[in-house]
Amino acid sequence: MTVDYKSLDWKFVLATAGLSLIGILLIYSAHYDSSTGSSLNFYMRQSIWLLLAIILFNAVIHIPVRVIDFIAYPLYGLALLLLALVLVAGETRMGASRWFSLGFMSVSPSDIAKLALIVALSRFFAYTKLPPQSKRRLAFSAMLAFIPALLVMKQPDLGSSLVFVVLLFSLWFWSGLSPAYLILIISPLVSLVAAFHWVTWVIYLVLLIIFMLVLKPGILFGVIVFISNLAFGMITPFIWNHLEDYQKLRVITFLDPGRDPQRAGYQIIQSKIAIGSGGIIGKGYLEGSQSQLKFLPERHTDFVFSVLGEEFGFVGTLTVVLLFGFIFYRGIRIASRCRSKFTSNLVWGALTIIFFQFFVNVGMTFGLMPVTGLPLPFLSYGGTSLLLNWTLIGIIVLADYHRSEY
Amino acid sequence: MSAYFIEKDRRARLASVLLVIALMTIISGLFYHQIIRYKSFLAQSEENRIRIRPIIPKRGVIFDRNKEMIADNRLSFTVSIVPMEMAKEVTLPRLAGLTGADTSAIKQKLNANFISKYIPAAVLRDQDISVISALEENSEHFPGVTYSVESVRRYVEGISAETFIGYIAEVAPDEIDKESQWGYRPGRLIGKKGIEKAYDRELRGIEGTDFIEVSARGQIIGTYGGRERVPAVPGADLVLTIDAALQREIVRFYDSLQSSGGVVALDPTTGEILALASFPGLDPNLFSGVIPDDVWRSIIDDPRHPLLNRPTSSMYPPGSTAKLLTAGAALEKGVLTPETMLRGCGGGMRFGNRVFKCWQEQGHGRLDLYHAVEQSCNVYFYQVGQILGLDAWNEFAVKSGFGRKSGIDISGELSGIAPSRAYYDKAFGQNRWSKLLILNIAIGQGEFIVTPLQLTQFYAGLANGGKVFKPHLLKEIRYPGKAIQKIEPSLSFTLPFANNTISVLSRSLELVVQGDRGTAKGLRNKYYTIAGKTGTAQNPHGKDHSWFVGYAPSNDPKILVCALVENAGHGSEVAAPLAGKIIKRYLLGDSTHNVIAHNVAESLVSE
Ligand SMILES: [Zn+2]
Repeated sequence: MTVDYKSLDWKFVLATAGLSLIGILLIYSAHYDSSTGSSLNFYMRQSIWLLLAIILFNAVIHIPVRVIDFIAYPLYGLALLLLALVLVAGETRMGASRWFSLGFMSVSPSDIAKLALIVALSRFFAYTKLPPQSKRRLAFSAMLAFIPALLVMKQPDLGSSLVFVVLLFSLWFWSGLSPAYLILIISPLVSLVAAFHWVTWVIYLVLLIIFMLVLKPGILFGVIVFISNLAFGMITPFIWNHLEDYQKLRVITFLDPGRDPQRAGYQIIQSKIAIGSGGIIGKGYLEGSQSQLKFLPERHTDFVFSVLGEEFGFVGTLTVVLLFGFIFYRGIRIASRCRSKFTSNLVWGALTIIFFQFFVNVGMTFGLMPVTGLPLPFLSYGGTSLLLNWTLIGIIVLADYHRSEY
Repeated sequence: MSAYFIEKDRRARLASVLLVIALMTIISGLFYHQIIRYKSFLAQSEENRIRIRPIIPKRGVIFDRNKEMIADNRLSFTVSIVPMEMAKEVTLPRLAGLTGADTSAIKQKLNANFISKYIPAAVLRDQDISVISALEENSEHFPGVTYSVESVRRYVEGISAETFIGYIAEVAPDEIDKESQWGYRPGRLIGKKGIEKAYDRELRGIEGTDFIEVSARGQIIGTYGGRERVPAVPGADLVLTIDAALQREIVRFYDSLQSSGGVVALDPTTGEILALASFPGLDPNLFSGVIPDDVWRSIIDDPRHPLLNRPTSSMYPPGSTAKLLTAGAALEKGVLTPETMLRGCGGGMRFGNRVFKCWQEQGHGRLDLYHAVEQSCNVYFYQVGQILGLDAWNEFAVKSGFGRKSGIDISGELSGIAPSRAYYDKAFGQNRWSKLLILNIAIGQGEFIVTPLQLTQFYAGLANGGKVFKPHLLKEIRYPGKAIQKIEPSLSFTLPFANNTISVLSRSLELVVQGDRGTAKGLRNKYYTIAGKTGTAQNPHGKDHSWFVGYAPSNDPKILVCALVENAGHGSEVAAPLAGKIIKRYLLGDSTHNVIAHNVAESLVSE
């Protein structure tokens, strides 16, 4: 299919490219060695990945919409197959089987599954005749999301499995489910978290009842919601006991980073120090002591935003946050002006994934969010992440290009 | 149910609002961390990478009076651990394996010397170069382990240096004062005894501070330019009054005796201590490294108490050396004249219903004061004591420096006991003690106990016309930058004796050596005259202790020697010959080394 490049949303693409270039700059700095004046080859590899990602992006925008429509379920099936396979035959790193090794690169099936779930859910919500709050509609879409979520949780990768669930909720919302209804449906999950502290949980349940009394969602539904809340809250201790040690540690560390400054909390503390000590304009490129002297862990992947904060200060972080803001804002506009429900859903799903990763990752660097291992889209080092996110951008640009088609 | 359905535009608007809220949350979080709390995080980031490294100043060197170096410093390797960077369960066992030390011992040291998790805490001192090169080559196997070159004290051996210099060791918990400018921090060295303790502040200097930049793994990146280095001020050098050559000879003489005991030699005209030795002694170099537990225990358990500083911290009855005090007091009180002949000695005398013996069984016959001192007749002095009475005796004993400390400039000194009426009342009950106790005290036995230093002091007064200069070990402090503080002799007290009395006493002391029946006539020689007194301290636990205290030349005293040999019997048999050798060595020297002594010897020969 031929594409008229002039009518593509170039501002959108340039913002993405800008973020990707900033990422390479930061990855270079993260592994810079002042004594030799050079950096480890991560930045070179990331540059090559960026090149590949742009080629992939270019390929994506040439795909006819109906082809995407057509491959939706086969892609979803393939993704499930890969997820199942990686549990058995995947490469194990740091106690988690998340990757397939293809020699030159490691492929993470959960990234493919994210893409597949966007397409599958978009397709389902676009063509189903069931009303938004219909139980069959909710149940089927929930099943589509929870199967990959559970498989990913098994790896174990709590961060990615959350992405699937969030994607489901987000598309429920976008395909017409009322926010109030959505809140009630999500409420048992909140119970799950709130029940760690029983006073909080009780207060939460009271608020929930008041909310339902105002909203009057129907007796049966209300009772189901309330019972689910009770049930989820009560299984919290059970779940807690079945969490992996490192997952428990992450929760504890999130709640109280000062508790163990030498181990898990160390990452958050060092990241906060890096960001905070950057001040308004930062310490200067390649001058951040936290990253240059290796106090900052995972500084080319999960904590690349902290390198930005340290070396470029508030000016730097604000710039990146605003670039993301621009992408999301423009993305919402694209989603809302797409005439086709399917492409609109695609855009919305893609935005959700990018946004969720962005919010959790940036929030994590200064302690707003727990350490989940989700990378910062476009900036963090990682080939598949870059390919996935550029593909999502490609889908958004593609949808925008075809916005007037049904 | 259609109420729950909202239009696409409204959803987009709602989403936009939520997006703005989310972005504002993130931006305000960043604003809070990067702008509001900037200073605090900047300080933390500096603390992260900047290590404060103390610069330990060179400890002052110690010289003897002839500028012979008797304590200096050698370099040694100290292994330390940066608690922040060590790997639990790995670092300590590996370090123990490498050095042959005990894991729990290292852990204990680490806790004891912990200052901050970023500051290296010394765990193993004086390590072999092979240990250091192994650490150097396999540094990644020993996370958190660093080493530093430190100086370690080195003392000249064979001069019983531990007696007066003492030693240094790590600061004990009760000595730690982190705020002190003197650097009494965990893991630092501090003088524990003797000169090292008394003049620790002068010797240690003032610590400096270096600021270095390190990586997360503790690798030193280099000097941190942001804060100015504070240089250390080296410690002052000390010149002691000790004569190391004399000290060395004393150790040689004493070693041949195979006994415990002590020697004090001083210049009676200034109070400068020329020699101070305690036997058996200890090599103070033992304390410089890490003293193994078993060695330490064997020192503590040694029945001969090698750590005891006998000249200042061990008390004995003075024996006959105390007769001069009795005589002096009686002369001053006017109850005795030098010519007074008391009842004759028949080897003993009955007082009350008890016979008090003289040391010479066949007796001394009738004597005057001079000859009673010369022959050290107990019976004569029993009678003097009886005439004098306890109260008068005690008055003169205290005024003569007994029962109180001399104030020597090293710690650990004991004050001895000069018994009084109050003392006996307390010990035996009000008036429930025999009035005859004074008889024993008059001849230096019984409850009267002294340190060799107190006896030295008393005789120094006799040698010096009654003036007693405070005994001291420090002659000069040489501060860095050439400022020299000389320690001037200071008058401690004057003996409560008139000049007449003193000349009678010194003449009688000369007779002890020069008289035909003198108890120390073996010390007579053609070069100089010695004035002195032998003594035998009764020892209920074994053989008597042997004393001699004397000075020479008697007309112009240059040296006073007080020698005590435990369990050696009569003073004339062991202590007197020993003191004689010491005096000879000092005054005549080895004719090349000691110029002053050489001159004295020549002038004596020409007389
Ligand atoms: Zn007699």
